[in-house]
Amino acid sequence: MTNGPLIVQSDKTLLLEVDHDQADACRRAIAPFAELERAPEHVHTYRLTPLGLWNARAAGHDAEQVVDVLLQYSRYPVPHALLVDVADIMSRYGRLQLVQDPVHGLVLHALDAAVLAEVTRSKRTAGLLGTRLDDTDVVVHPSERGHLKQVLLKLGWPAEDLAGYVDGEAHAISLDEAGWQLRPYQKQAVEGFWHGGSGVVVLPCGAGKTLVGAGAMAKSSTTTLILVTNTVSARQWRDELIKRTSLTEDEIGEYSGARKEIRPVTIATYQVLTTKRKGVYTHLELLDARDWGLVVYDEVHLLPAPIFRMTADLQARRRLGLTATLVREDGREDEVFSLIGPKRFDAPWKDIEAQGYIAPADCVEVRLTLPDRDRMLYATAEPEDKYRLAATAPGKNHVVEKLVAKHAGDQILVIGQYLDQLDELAEHLQADLITGQTPVGERQRLFDAFRTGEIHKLVVSKVANFSIDLPEASVAIQVSGSFGSRQEEAQRLGRIMRPKGDGRTAHFYTVVARDTVDQEFAAHRQRFLAEQGYAYTIVDAEDLGIGEPATD
Amino acid sequence: MSTFTGFLRSRSDDDLVALLRGRPDLATPSPTTIASLGVRATSRGSLERALASVDAGVLQVLEAVVALGPDADVRAAIADTPAGVVLVDSALERAGELALLFRDEDGLHPAPGLAELLGPYPAGLAPASPTDPPGDVVDVLPDAPAGVAPVLEALTWGPPVGLAPSNATATAAAVDWMVRRRLLVMGDGRHVVLPRTVALALRSGRTHRAAALAPQPHFATRLPATVAAESTDAGERIVRLVAQLGRVWEESPAGVLRSGGLGVRELRRVAAELEVDERLAALVVELAAAAGLVGDDGEELPSFVPTVAMDEWSLAPVATRWALLASTWLATSRTPWLVGGRDEAGTVRPALSPDLHRAWAPRLRRSVLGMLAAQPAGAAPDADAVLEVLAWRTPRSVPPVSAVAAVLAEAADVGVLGAGALSDAGRALLSSADEAAATFEATLPPSLDEILLQGDLTGIVPGRPSDELESLIARTARVESRGGAVTVRFTADTVRLAFDDGATAEGLLAELARFARGPVPQPLEYLVRDAARRHGRLRAGAASSYLRSDDPALLAGLVDNPKLSGLGLFTLAPTVLAAQAPTRELIDALRAQGLAPAAETPDGHVLHVAREVRRVGRRGRAAASRRAGTEAPAQATAAELTALVARLRAPEPVAPARAPAPAADDGTDEPGDALLLLREAVAEKADVWVELVGPTGRPERRLLRPLRIDGGRLRAADVQRESELTVAVHRIASVRRARPVAAPESDDGIADEETA
Repeated sequence: MTNGPLIVQSDKTLLLEVDHDQADACRRAIAPFAELERAPEHVHTYRLTPLGLWNARAAGHDAEQVVDVLLQYSRYPVPHALLVDVADIMSRYGRLQLVQDPVHGLVLHALDAAVLAEVTRSKRTAGLLGTRLDDTDVVVHPSERGHLKQVLLKLGWPAEDLAGYVDGEAHAISLDEAGWQLRPYQKQAVEGFWHGGSGVVVLPCGAGKTLVGAGAMAKSSTTTLILVTNTVSARQWRDELIKRTSLTEDEIGEYSGARKEIRPVTIATYQVLTTKRKGVYTHLELLDARDWGLVVYDEVHLLPAPIFRMTADLQARRRLGLTATLVREDGREDEVFSLIGPKRFDAPWKDIEAQGYIAPADCVEVRLTLPDRDRMLYATAEPEDKYRLAATAPGKNHVVEKLVAKHAGDQILVIGQYLDQLDELAEHLQADLITGQTPVGERQRLFDAFRTGEIHKLVVSKVANFSIDLPEASVAIQVSGSFGSRQEEAQRLGRIMRPKGDGRTAHFYTVVARDTVDQEFAAHRQRFLAEQGYAYTIVDAEDLGIGEPATD
Repeated sequence: MSTFTGFLRSRSDDDLVALLRGRPDLATPSPTTIASLGVRATSRGSLERALASVDAGVLQVLEAVVALGPDADVRAAIADTPAGVVLVDSALERAGELALLFRDEDGLHPAPGLAELLGPYPAGLAPASPTDPPGDVVDVLPDAPAGVAPVLEALTWGPPVGLAPSNATATAAAVDWMVRRRLLVMGDGRHVVLPRTVALALRSGRTHRAAALAPQPHFATRLPATVAAESTDAGERIVRLVAQLGRVWEESPAGVLRSGGLGVRELRRVAAELEVDERLAALVVELAAAAGLVGDDGEELPSFVPTVAMDEWSLAPVATRWALLASTWLATSRTPWLVGGRDEAGTVRPALSPDLHRAWAPRLRRSVLGMLAAQPAGAAPDADAVLEVLAWRTPRSVPPVSAVAAVLAEAADVGVLGAGALSDAGRALLSSADEAAATFEATLPPSLDEILLQGDLTGIVPGRPSDELESLIARTARVESRGGAVTVRFTADTVRLAFDDGATAEGLLAELARFARGPVPQPLEYLVRDAARRHGRLRAGAASSYLRSDDPALLAGLVDNPKLSGLGLFTLAPTVLAAQAPTRELIDALRAQGLAPAAETPDGHVLHVAREVRRVGRRGRAAASRRAGTEAPAQATAAELTALVARLRAPEPVAPARAPAPAADDGTDEPGDALLLLREAVAEKADVWVELVGPTGRPERRLLRPLRIDGGRLRAADVQRESELTVAVHRIASVRRARPVAAPESDDGIADEETA
């Protein structure tokens, strides 16, 4: 029995004691194959999953290495069944390979004839496979490349895609590293992706995913299609690309609801691609409009289902996925794996925070006791109205006001869900308001003003959740949110995770009405943030000296 | 027989002790003389038992001796290598020790009766027969046609009997060729037999191809630390599960099926509560029952509940608790792995069902563990390897592979195996439970008194928690994962349970702080304090009625009034009192004090309470009158009234409360007479008035035409209702011949009642 930092549980969780001398070495050793589930202060929990183990196989690790690492760092004897399982799962990846045959084109090649026999007999592969060439090879129709990979993953025999990619139309792109340069981890991410061919790069919000995309484009130097979540995000990408690369405004097109430009680098929104008219996707021609050499997916964890289907047809092109988390609320992680590719690079938030690239954050939940009048109103409300009542409790305005006063001089974002509440708050704080109804131009103007420090306070609705860049926000105050979704939390925290010039701690406040559903949702939030390793404290509004007198 | 007894007599005392130890059935009950020991040792049952316990080497020796007779050279007949010779020698010795073989001046003899048990063809040789050809007939074989070799191949090593081919095939020609040269003889019309002499010549005088050396299956080995860790882990788990089963069943016992088992749904409930699969749940339930920790409570509607033994058991140290379960498992004849399967009739076998007893189960478990114990430490054979060895050890009773696999799986669940290899405690279990407990105790990893509390409201004990810490966890948190470490999660609900048990926020935080490395995280502290704040904000209590008034002074006076002390009044609020007495009593008592209370409904309306009067439901009476049938019509006919008066006048001292007696004339109440009358009525196809006693004991008179009487039942047509009925004869109170007249008027009454 060694005195290692790792405890391997038979339910396939790995517990890493972070205060241990060898904790860092161990973390680095297990990171390639284990998914970090929770990272609170003392013990980090990792989990061994088939996808994680296959990701490790795709990255060139084998079962023996994994078993060695577990045995080396484990404090107690490792459950034997788990070791057997790891070896078994890992041995499944790559027994089937998709290769390019000079004569027959795309071929599914098996290193193990029995496996090929098993999958060819399965009903699910019916229609995807062509002529059987011999015991170990069968022809695959090029159009079914993605679909076949999905099916093989479901059958538990994920295929290694070695069939290569079309070169695409060449287009010179280079990074314009004047006065800045890619951070080391960004370079590693680009290298990891390029070496693997296609796949996903996982970086926390604020760690500069756009630059990883730019780096990959420079590496590829081909025409590129970039898929992003919304128009604001698309403009952000465009600005960043113009600033950081040799690309000019004329080379970058926007393909959105407003504009339909197709240029060597085209940025399209998910929404326009998934728009249907009379049951038909009307903008599919974009995918074939040019001979794209690279497709970049921003926020892979939000990729809508139709995009998956379209991606299945794009398997011959290099694909780069960018995301802050592989966890999808809809559980379609396996489609990301089979259609975009395995994880090629991953850096946990804490690592990048430790390197000083994102700001440390301090999360505070402020619990507000509702005055008796509001409590009575809440207690007798219809269930469907309860969340709204609690989330928009008028007392929150006072709390926000005091918090804003406390952080005077900082860049402060106030985030909420209900428009009338936000209206009221904006008026109260004499701050500008951005909602879904704010025109894009106005939005951009306000964001720019906020960025330059012209304005210090901004009240935003959930439109701010995705892909906007607010570099100098150091305080976020959340007054209401949609039911404590983990994704939303990651995004909101991302708003303030950008590095601060002076290394100050960022503050993330949530104002919660006590003893209401609001508090229950806050519990989800608390769990998520604490699991991510952020300092989390709960205070009473009264203790801050900013509560409304309870007997109103 | 006399020589066998003589052989027994000649044995030394030590030899006899060894015999009795080797064949324990000979010692119970104690035989009185050597002769009686001899008789018993040669009885079929005892010999079968002895044969079931010998290994393949001994069996070969016995077969060789039986097949070849006293002057056989057993070594030459079996062994082909020096190792084989050693095996044969030791097998001979063992067979002698068990008195299955004995030696006299003629040579080796099987124990009397043994030969029959080895079947008609011991060692695959046909019995000697005077018609056997000399062995040299095989000299013609080099010239044999092609079909002969496969025939000989099939018959040489036995069994020596084959089905004669019927049609003109190559085989038939070969057989024919062989029969003509006396290489085969015809048995009955359809079979051919390879004569003993021919077989022996082909085998070069051997009875077996080779000595049955013990198999050496190859299997994986596990590190001792892994075996120890996984076996203690499983051991602690099974102890925890049984204890948990006790907690589940002490609060909500599980009903016993009419057939005596635990229903599928109840088993599923146990599985859900224990968070295990049904297979393991069945093992836990069976183990707890076999250990006497749970049992049938014997009530009218029986349930399975923990016994008092459960209480004693739960106080013992974990090693002792485990040892009881493990030794119970080893010794029980229950076969939990059969639960959920189907029996011959196709019904699912429930857990705890009486027909899960298999007398061979303990023997199988012991032989599997014995096999494992004979391997080097850390050996982890799979079921096939175990079976291979068992098949050699006891070739006469080879268990099915499924049973062996099930026993191995159970052993792993009980913690006798760890990572598939026998644990030290499991090895000790074969000698005694106490030794096993001591070994288990020694194998347990050291316990920890430390928990790492984290901001996400989880806690991790990086090892095995001490008893004190374990109890703190059990009271305040929910376990999420167990293994080398224990991870727990604190939620408002789990903390509330601690408060329900009387904890205080300060006490709980102090206790957590004592075990925590570093301070208690702020969110956890907040959670505990918040839970404490919310705990008990609502108060519930028992009261039968309440009293409210807008005048607090009035109520205050009532609480202190000694004359009202019997009502159990207490103040809930200045304007509300609660009382232990029911509302009516409360109102009466207050009225007696000259007060004027008014009762109210839950929504505050004044209720005028009428005085208490008693009624009984209408339904009962209607049913009663319906069952009474024609005997209680609303308007009795004159004839019936006359009959009634006659009955009233008739002295009936013995059973005055009995059903009204039938009319005296040609009716009958003697059962024999009644039957006779009914039989006559059947023969004559006549109608009779029959007085039937209903299920409630009320008599009913029906006009019936009896059709048949047999098996204590009367089958009859009801003339008026045009229906048939079958009635048990003992329900017939009396029978009276019906006059050939129309039915009495009251019959309309019956019809009405029936349709109503």
